[in-house]
Amino acid sequence: MIKHLVKGALALALTAGLAHADEYPSESITLIVPYSPGGNGDITSRFIADKASDIMGVNFVVENRAGGGAFIGINSCANADPDGYTICFISTSPITVRPHVIEAPYDPMTDLTYLGQFMLSKQPVIVRDDGKFNSIDDVIAFAKENPGQLRWSAAVPRGGPHLATEAMFRAEDAVTTFLPSKGGAVELANLLSGTIDLAVISDYGPALDNGEIKILAETSPGRNPQAPDAPTLSELGYPLELASFFALAAPAGLSEEVIATWDDTMKQITDSEEFKTLMDRIKGQGAYLNSADFTARVRADFEAMGEATQTYGLAN
Amino acid sequence: METMDSILAGVALALTWQSILAVLAGIVAGQLLGAIPGLTATMTVALLIPYTYYLDPWVGIPMLVGMFKGSLFGSSVTAILVKTPGTPAAAATVLDGYPMAQQGKGEKACKMALYSSVFGDSFSDIVLIFGASFLAAIALKFGPAEYTLLVAFSLLTMGFVSGAKIWKGLFAMLLGMLLGIVGLDPVTASPRLTLGFLELEEGIGLIPMLIGFLAVAEVMRQMELPRKHLATSTVSFSDDPADRRVSWLEFKGVLPTLLKSSSLGTAVGALPGISATVAAFLAYNEAKRSSKNPEKYGKGELNGIAAPESANNAVSGANLIPLMAFGIPGDIAAALILSALLIQGITPGPVVFRDNPEPIYAIFTALLLANFFNLILGHGLIKMARRVVTVPKRILFPVVLVIAAASAYAMRGSIFDVQLVFLFGLLGWGLTKLAFPTVPLLIGFILMPILESNLRVSMLIAGSVPNPFAYFLGRPAFVTLLVVMFLLLVLVMRRILRDREAARAAGLRSGG
Repeated sequence: MIKHLVKGALALALTAGLAHADEYPSESITLIVPYSPGGNGDITSRFIADKASDIMGVNFVVENRAGGGAFIGINSCANADPDGYTICFISTSPITVRPHVIEAPYDPMTDLTYLGQFMLSKQPVIVRDDGKFNSIDDVIAFAKENPGQLRWSAAVPRGGPHLATEAMFRAEDAVTTFLPSKGGAVELANLLSGTIDLAVISDYGPALDNGEIKILAETSPGRNPQAPDAPTLSELGYPLELASFFALAAPAGLSEEVIATWDDTMKQITDSEEFKTLMDRIKGQGAYLNSADFTARVRADFEAMGEATQTYGLAN
Repeated sequence: METMDSILAGVALALTWQSILAVLAGIVAGQLLGAIPGLTATMTVALLIPYTYYLDPWVGIPMLVGMFKGSLFGSSVTAILVKTPGTPAAAATVLDGYPMAQQGKGEKACKMALYSSVFGDSFSDIVLIFGASFLAAIALKFGPAEYTLLVAFSLLTMGFVSGAKIWKGLFAMLLGMLLGIVGLDPVTASPRLTLGFLELEEGIGLIPMLIGFLAVAEVMRQMELPRKHLATSTVSFSDDPADRRVSWLEFKGVLPTLLKSSSLGTAVGALPGISATVAAFLAYNEAKRSSKNPEKYGKGELNGIAAPESANNAVSGANLIPLMAFGIPGDIAAALILSALLIQGITPGPVVFRDNPEPIYAIFTALLLANFFNLILGHGLIKMARRVVTVPKRILFPVVLVIAAASAYAMRGSIFDVQLVFLFGLLGWGLTKLAFPTVPLLIGFILMPILESNLRVSMLIAGSVPNPFAYFLGRPAFVTLLVVMFLLLVLVMRRILRDREAARAAGLRSGG
């Protein structure tokens, strides 16, 4: 019995050694999720880890390292060795938005390698379907005539959708009252009850189907498939439009070989039927971008956000 | 006739053997996982979701329902027996449950918790079935101003009825409120009292705080006792049958508390964004306030278990009220049920009741079925727990420390949270030594963030309307609340004065 165990251990050690000399990946990969378990970011990350493990043939360890609005988890990823064995889940806010308004422990432009994007979510500007507002023009006109009287909110204070909409109001010199919130469900209730007149949230589906709300515009690039007639903010000529993405990142200085392996893996995962079911379930849009294309998007959004922050004083 | 058909079709949907098995499995898993501190039902469900893609919705939804209901009861068992709430919602159950267990009445306390849980669940489910759209319409009348009034009032009465010296109660409450404002400012998003720790930007975690304050502090208190004491079993159970069951007479005695707390829990659940933990503390507070013998609370009062247990379970059913009426999920459990429904192309809301009500009736059936199984299986859990906690203290308490540390770590993989657990353990131990009451501190901590964000949002609203007085006084819910609270306050003050009068009279008599 012991003999067998020793033999097995030896064989394992040998193959492990061989594999190590071989190509990436040869040992287990840690995927850091900078949020608590249970959110969509966590659910999709665990799904990706599960599928990537099947494709790459190594184990994945998913670690939730939450806190500081995702700064803590992403920072520990940025400080890890760039060997491809520590990667992390990222979303819009801690990468392209918050570093402009709050001091971040890492520099999103130099400290991370961006791997593939896998999901986008729509972040529309919605109002009650009661005829008060029928277009963004109506909203702007009301806000200008009644300074400070238009009350509105977004699911994440100082997230991309909030600041893109704020930039719109500031570009129009419209004074509004932004009410800080805790999450989309509460804001939807506040919208229906008249506490606010306008909301920018992503979980609006049931209320839209029930005819309680109306979509006036979309704050991320590309029109909202559920409201193809509603223009995007940039179509309307407003300064800021930010993609609301889910993606993976790794420490800066990752080798080309590892990046290529991940490009290929993420493509396979996002093409699968199971991935599509997951997207349906969490109401996301599967949207694959490889490392190069996604890096370009992050840079563009980061710069646009930086510019808008300066021009419109969004940090205050 | 048509309605009857769709009701029957819905019931049939939920009464297949697969669905029934799923409810059973959900209850068992929920009760067991709920009993493990740090593993909340939400977390467990979230971890399991990737494995449930292929489940039929009429297996998935009943299982979810079972899990959430089971975990709310499971978490009270550890709260009662080892002073460690399995989930934050059971924290208020510790207050009278643990003293009862120390008196050998652990089994009675657990059974009371079980009956109260099932009562609260059934109450809110029935309200949901018959009055969802009506209640949801009222809930929408509650805006930030009304939330502010509600919370401010709870804190106000709390300060007066905490039992101990009033200044000690107020001090503990203020300390709790101070701890509650650590983190990012809700309006300006700038860090406050974080001492430079990124980990504190999202505030002090509820789980590290509760586990440290309750469980670790208790272990520290036990360490002070003579060594001989540690060889005794953690909880001894009295063999007197009266201490092992809840008699019909006792149940009748707590029935008013059950009804009141379940109503309160249902009302809280209908308001999106207020948790079961808050409801439990509010109900406890109210039961104590209105009791003829408030001094018995905290020493093993049955009503002190019935109130929080029925209220926290009532929240879980009532969270479906805004979901069914408008498609607004009140909490994560409701959000998970919503996503399962959306996959099936069913959008909850007024339209679905008219066009496609079968799935809704199926959910109702699953809810009631889950209550029934919770009741039956709960007895099994109590028997099991009884065996676990009869091990000697010197074995169980170190284990509690390990579990406390592990559960704090599990929430978000943070050693910082583990340190917090022990820091709060020290704080809780110190405060108990100095005879400060702990309930006001916990309530202050839990309610402060709700009070602050709603108050500040209300102020922003006041600044955005031409005439703030006209705006607030034009809200029927606001005015109603003001009147009710004023009357309650008068009642509380009268009682305090009368007690004081009585105390003075007694003092005179004994002095003379």
